[in-house]
Amino acid sequence: MSGFIKSTKEENQIVIIETDGYLNNEGGEAISTICYEKMSEGKNKFLINMASTKVVNSIGVSILIEIIEKLQEVDGKIGYYNLAPIVSKTFNIMGLTKYSTVFATEEEAVSGL
Amino acid sequence: MNKQFNINELQLKYLELETLLDITNELSSFEHVSVLLQEILIKSCAVLNASSGMILMQDSNSDLFQIEAEFNIDVDALKGVIFNKKRGFFNEVNQHRKAIHLQIETDPFLSKTKCTYGLIAPLLDKKDLVGVIVLFDKESRLGISAFEESDTNMLSAIATQAGVAYNNIKLIENIKEAKTFNDNVMQSIVTGVFTTNLMGEINHVNRAAASIINLDREEVIGNHYEYVFESNEIINELISKCETALATISESQIQIDCNGKTTSVNISVSPLLNDQNEPIGSVVAMEDLSNLDKLKSTFKKYVSKQIVDQLLENDDMLNLGGQEQEATILFSDIRGFTSMSETMPPNEVVETLNEYFNLMIEIIFKYNGTLDKIIGDALMVIYGAPNSTDKDTENAVLTAIEMQEKLIEFNQQRIIHSKLPITIGIGINRGRVISGNIGSRQQMNFTVIGDSVNLASRLCSAAKADEIIVSDTVWKHVKTNKLFKGRKLNPIKVKGKAKPIEIREILYQRPSFNYEVAYGMIESFLINNLPKEYTYHSIHHIRDVVEQSERIAKKEKINKEDIADLKLAAWLHDVGYIWEPARHEARGAEYATVVLNAMDFPAQKINRITGMIMATKIPQSPKNLLEQIICDADLDYLGREDYKANSTLLLEELRLKKEISELEWLKIQDQFLTKHVYFTKTSNSTRNTQKAKVLANIKTQLKK
Repeated sequence: MSGFIKSTKEENQIVIIETDGYLNNEGGEAISTICYEKMSEGKNKFLINMASTKVVNSIGVSILIEIIEKLQEVDGKIGYYNLAPIVSKTFNIMGLTKYSTVFATEEEAVSGL
Repeated sequence: MNKQFNINELQLKYLELETLLDITNELSSFEHVSVLLQEILIKSCAVLNASSGMILMQDSNSDLFQIEAEFNIDVDALKGVIFNKKRGFFNEVNQHRKAIHLQIETDPFLSKTKCTYGLIAPLLDKKDLVGVIVLFDKESRLGISAFEESDTNMLSAIATQAGVAYNNIKLIENIKEAKTFNDNVMQSIVTGVFTTNLMGEINHVNRAAASIINLDREEVIGNHYEYVFESNEIINELISKCETALATISESQIQIDCNGKTTSVNISVSPLLNDQNEPIGSVVAMEDLSNLDKLKSTFKKYVSKQIVDQLLENDDMLNLGGQEQEATILFSDIRGFTSMSETMPPNEVVETLNEYFNLMIEIIFKYNGTLDKIIGDALMVIYGAPNSTDKDTENAVLTAIEMQEKLIEFNQQRIIHSKLPITIGIGINRGRVISGNIGSRQQMNFTVIGDSVNLASRLCSAAKADEIIVSDTVWKHVKTNKLFKGRKLNPIKVKGKAKPIEIREILYQRPSFNYEVAYGMIESFLINNLPKEYTYHSIHHIRDVVEQSERIAKKEKINKEDIADLKLAAWLHDVGYIWEPARHEARGAEYATVVLNAMDFPAQKINRITGMIMATKIPQSPKNLLEQIICDADLDYLGREDYKANSTLLLEELRLKKEISELEWLKIQDQFLTKHVYFTKTSNSTRNTQKAKVLANIKTQLKK
């Protein structure tokens, strides 16, 4: 597990990934590696707990978009929770929230995805 | 890849603009530079896709820069690196004044970051370079790359905003620092300072001011000065004057009421001006003089006001050393005090001396004398040293006369209180003396020494009780003043002088007997000494007898002199109750004889006073009109409306000795009133009717 991925767990067939740090190229790659691995195992629902990720750049966002594209092919979904306001704003501007969902808490995310 | 998911240029520009706007909006909300810098760095990295970055700020005391914010960078790799303003990329960015690309691999310091590409922008304070923001390695999906030209513009824009925000925070920090510094200085100074705004509201009070005005700061801040100082019109007037005149107004040694405590202060009010020289309020400074006053008043117990003021003004006076000069020296000594004190308990000896010294020292200071020392029961006083005036010798003689005169009054008080009188002898000489501070640096006394001082002491020894003996030198200085009368005495031989010394006795008039003073003294003595359990024979009864005596005497056309004697007898007629209630008239007459003799009351009239006192003994036996008057005054209440109240008090007093029933009391009153007759026409005409009613009432009650 890279330093950026703090933990992964599964709940209700949903893979929950907890991140820590800068969601840039490196961080995005770390998320995509796990997602693609789990997708190969048949998982198609992913949640990212971004409580410890306060900074995101457009490369990080573009990798998330790549993941969304792959998930659409398997009728999968991805969502995020515990977003810092600046991260939330970046997701909005970059159009990410049109194709994936932002939740406030883990409970809400698990039940709402 | 589905085209709709592509991040297009427009979105990126939108993000850049939003980021810049965020920075602009948020920059003013930061209070600390470190938080601000971290936020700028993170946002810059995010919006420009930099993989890492740092902000270096110039050390306030040197040309070196320190890392103040870092993001995603290995700071340990840069440990020990000296970032000098005059070298490398600092020099370059300082010249360009905008963001520039960095050749990391060729930079001896930044190459340690193991980054490849760099973008650096200056943070400027006006024209000065105060910091730099450095971003490393622009990210893309293909890996890292150099920053683009558009990134240079964006970072320049962010750095410009950051520079403004940084300067604002620094300015606020400087203002806060200045305010804290100012507050600390204000709080630590002993001068009380408070300021008012244009509305007259107090907006600043330092600790000393709160202490001087004896109020908590919270009670003062925000209130109008007229409200805070409503009991100190003078402070309000000074502030008001300053507001009108826009000039500093001062007042020295004024007494102000500080929440119930009176304090002496020097006060100064100045206009408070802004940088445009426009008034924005007033600043009031108060200097608390209470400690100085306390010091002065303590000091003045030992030396005259003159010396205290000179010492406070002239430090040189505290130096040891002396000068020869002309001075007048007065010695006084209590006659026979040693043998007198042997008959008194120690506390009474001390009390007597303290009372006597208090009285005498007050007179000494009144005539600008300096109390040199108290030697047992003797006083040594200097006039004319350290500073002399034309009046020094006259002042010494005036002091001596007033000391003797005041002692007569003092003794009258003592006699009335059955205490032995004090008599003093005084000697005064004038001549050359050595004056100055004599002693050690730890303890020095201002004094005078020399033959002239010794002679003054010898003259005092030669003076008998009540006498003032002066040398011929003194007499020559004062004889032109008609106030003084001198009687030449036989020359005296004194130790250390070969020739006999010419001397004179200064004559003074012993004050004649003062009735009003005597009344006051006797009244005060009665108040303090009459047994409190005597409810009838109290000061109220004695005052009543004095009042009725005067009233009856005036009706009986008695002359003023006789009325004065009558009142004297009235004041003394029950004084014997203090010692022997059973034979109080006789005891009172004895006391009157001693006291009146000592008070220079004409001897031939003393019998008249004691006769009046004795006449009041029941059954009354007056032998002349004055005695008849005092007898009628003593029982005046028998024919008055307030009979009942007086008889109740008398019954209460009589019951102290034995039980008396109501019936017995009615019988006693019946018997007494039936027998009683007023002697004077006045009392017979004014009191008999009411007395008859009283008697009839008693008889009615008896029949029941």
